[in-house]
Amino acid sequence: MIRALRILASNPLSLFGLLLVVLIVLVAILAPWIAPFPTHNGAVVDFAFANKAPGARNWMGTDLVGRDIFSRILYAYQISLTLGIVVLAIATPIGTVVGLIAGYSGGWLGTVLMRIVDVFLSIPPLVLAIAMMGVLEPTLTNAMLAVTVMWWPWYARLVYSVARSEREEGYVLAAEVIGANTAHITFREILPNCLPAIITKMTLDMGFVIIIASSLSFLGLGVQPPTPDLGSMVAEGARYLPDSWWLTVFPGLAILVAVFGFNLLGDGLRDVFGVDE
Amino acid sequence: MTRKTTLATVLCVASLLSTPIFAETVLRIDEVAVGELDPAKASDYADSILMFNVYDTLVIPQQGGPGHVAHLATSWESDGATYTFELRDDVKFQSGNSMTAADVVYSLERMQALGAGLSYLFTDVKAEAKSDTSVQFTLAQPYAPFVASLVRLPIVDMAFVKANSESEWGEEFLSANGAGTGAYGVKSHNPQEETVMTKSDSYFLGVPDVAPDTVRLRYGLEAATVRTLISQGEHDIASQWLPPEVIQALAKDGAQLLTESGTGAFYFKMNTTKAPLDDVNCRLALSHAFDYGTAVQMIAINDEVSAGSPASGAIPVGMYGANPADAVMARDMDKAKEYLDACKYDAADFNIEVSWIAEVPLEERFALLMQSNFTELGIKSEIKKLPWALFAEQVSKPENTPHISQLFVNAVTGDPDTLLYGMYHSSTPGTWQSPEYLSDAKVDEFLDAGRSAADDAGREEAYKALNARLMEIAPTIYGFDRQSVFAASNRVKVPALSDASQAFGLDGMGFSFRLMEMTE
Repeated sequence: MIRALRILASNPLSLFGLLLVVLIVLVAILAPWIAPFPTHNGAVVDFAFANKAPGARNWMGTDLVGRDIFSRILYAYQISLTLGIVVLAIATPIGTVVGLIAGYSGGWLGTVLMRIVDVFLSIPPLVLAIAMMGVLEPTLTNAMLAVTVMWWPWYARLVYSVARSEREEGYVLAAEVIGANTAHITFREILPNCLPAIITKMTLDMGFVIIIASSLSFLGLGVQPPTPDLGSMVAEGARYLPDSWWLTVFPGLAILVAVFGFNLLGDGLRDVFGVDE
Repeated sequence: MTRKTTLATVLCVASLLSTPIFAETVLRIDEVAVGELDPAKASDYADSILMFNVYDTLVIPQQGGPGHVAHLATSWESDGATYTFELRDDVKFQSGNSMTAADVVYSLERMQALGAGLSYLFTDVKAEAKSDTSVQFTLAQPYAPFVASLVRLPIVDMAFVKANSESEWGEEFLSANGAGTGAYGVKSHNPQEETVMTKSDSYFLGVPDVAPDTVRLRYGLEAATVRTLISQGEHDIASQWLPPEVIQALAKDGAQLLTESGTGAFYFKMNTTKAPLDDVNCRLALSHAFDYGTAVQMIAINDEVSAGSPASGAIPVGMYGANPADAVMARDMDKAKEYLDACKYDAADFNIEVSWIAEVPLEERFALLMQSNFTELGIKSEIKKLPWALFAEQVSKPENTPHISQLFVNAVTGDPDTLLYGMYHSSTPGTWQSPEYLSDAKVDEFLDAGRSAADDAGREEAYKALNARLMEIAPTIYGFDRQSVFAASNRVKVPALSDASQAFGLDGMGFSFRLMEMTE
């Protein structure tokens, strides 16, 4: 653990990433207390202050119905992080189990499972998500579902390739020789050795999930108004460029900071675990 | 010659050479897709621009005042049930064919046969060619605004259509080509992207040199794109659907503001077939909770120009049956609560779908305003963004139609009948104008009385009664009386959209390109 922290600390960029992630998580959790206008995450309009440039009252300006953009970004982080965590919490176990079974058992079962995974991977992720959202109602739950469906195959493929190489290792053979059953070998012997790769990918993926979710809501397929969401804030503001730049620039920066933070941290974790891409 | 005068002469000649005296002038405008070129199917604003330039009609509205003047016709007379029009004998179609009474008959029958667009204006009419230059219309029942409705009967070149098409009505041909007498001919047409029109040499009134030689009407440009194009001098007249902030920014940069006022209003239409809005008290609760004052503030461009004025009722100020302009609609939360209590549904169970048209960003703000207003009443709502094409499809079935649809509707002929009949008569449900699906015997009765009344006083009375009834049953939240505002470059002068004495009082007709002047 201490060794891990030392490796992480030895790379200032990774440390910076960790800092950003901690900051974003704190800000999201504390949003109701630190947002200057905590009611502005809901169905509130205040046309007296509509479309105001950044200033002392509203640090990042106000949107077209007079809501404080800074407050809304804080709340939007809640949505983005929740979405990222839920998606990964569902996609990772599914993908891991499928990858482990396919990787350890091999044979026809492995082939069938991995061909199914290939089918999912052959469709561009955003296209698949958009197609799903076209059928479903645009809500936060469905957005999570759509992103999850496109995300699990990546874990299946990752775990499959790790499991394939691990099954030839001496410790697996030893377990087989002493008569351990398949479940024991896959979950108790092979899985722990896949974890570093999985955790690294999860950290890197948080950023990507946030981007995909923002893309969906940019297209109007994600979280619906008045719930604040970074993607839809960018989409709404884009029409008013270049005059009302604050409508787009701050939510855009917020996405950038989040994705940047998770990517840097992910890179750092990769060094810590010694995982190869 | 001194060196100075030589230099001056050289400069002078050079400047003469570089001034393109006969340079082609191009007018660039935009509208929301789809641009419908078929005269029997045209209905919205983009279509109107196409119709009023590629085609002509027997009459056009008088500029700067009420009433109509002869256009393709020379005169007309009527005994109430029949109208006889004498036609000009010097009008040529763009194909070179002469226009005759047979073309008028064909155009009317084509409209009726296809039954789309604004054909409902002509359901009870028969036309007969008395001679090459005389046509008689016979009405099955008296229809007071018949002459006004003729501004929506573009005259089609029958011989040209038949020569170019296998089918009798040439639907395919006319959806891609022009076949009119208009001042501008269609050079190319892609209903999703762009229509290019060029000046016609054979126009019967002649087209002034200063009018644009070519017009490019582009569809579906983003607001930010239009904003940038105009600032860079690459676009001339923006559509009326730009958000007020963008129009403000353009005006600040020196763009001129053109206006076209109002034979229409902005409506929040409630689906009267869907619970809880099938209960009149629920509808009244919503219409009393709506913040009319804020809505009007939202559409102001600057101190002088606004995209509308407060509504005084169901009928826009200035039309038959309108309430006085100072009797403005206002929010009344106490009444809203009373109505909500009287509603047979429980407010806690509501989830009102408030839709907005994706191409009109301003509507999103109205949706948020409504959501906030309804929340104060304890009513939940969700906001739904719909592209125009999808919306137009969804409204054809009551169960697919959202609880609330936001629409700008105008009197397509300038007469209140064409504003109100299509929206509220029980025989015309499920068009983009009538997502209310209203079916009310009294409303039908007053609408019928309004179109058949013999004189102005009778019509005033019928529409007054209609207005009162529509206020009572509230199928719609009457947002505000609308005026269209267009930001435009200074390369073009448009008297019909800037000088009240030249205005037509008919939506879209201000875009008659032949009356515009290009300054560079």
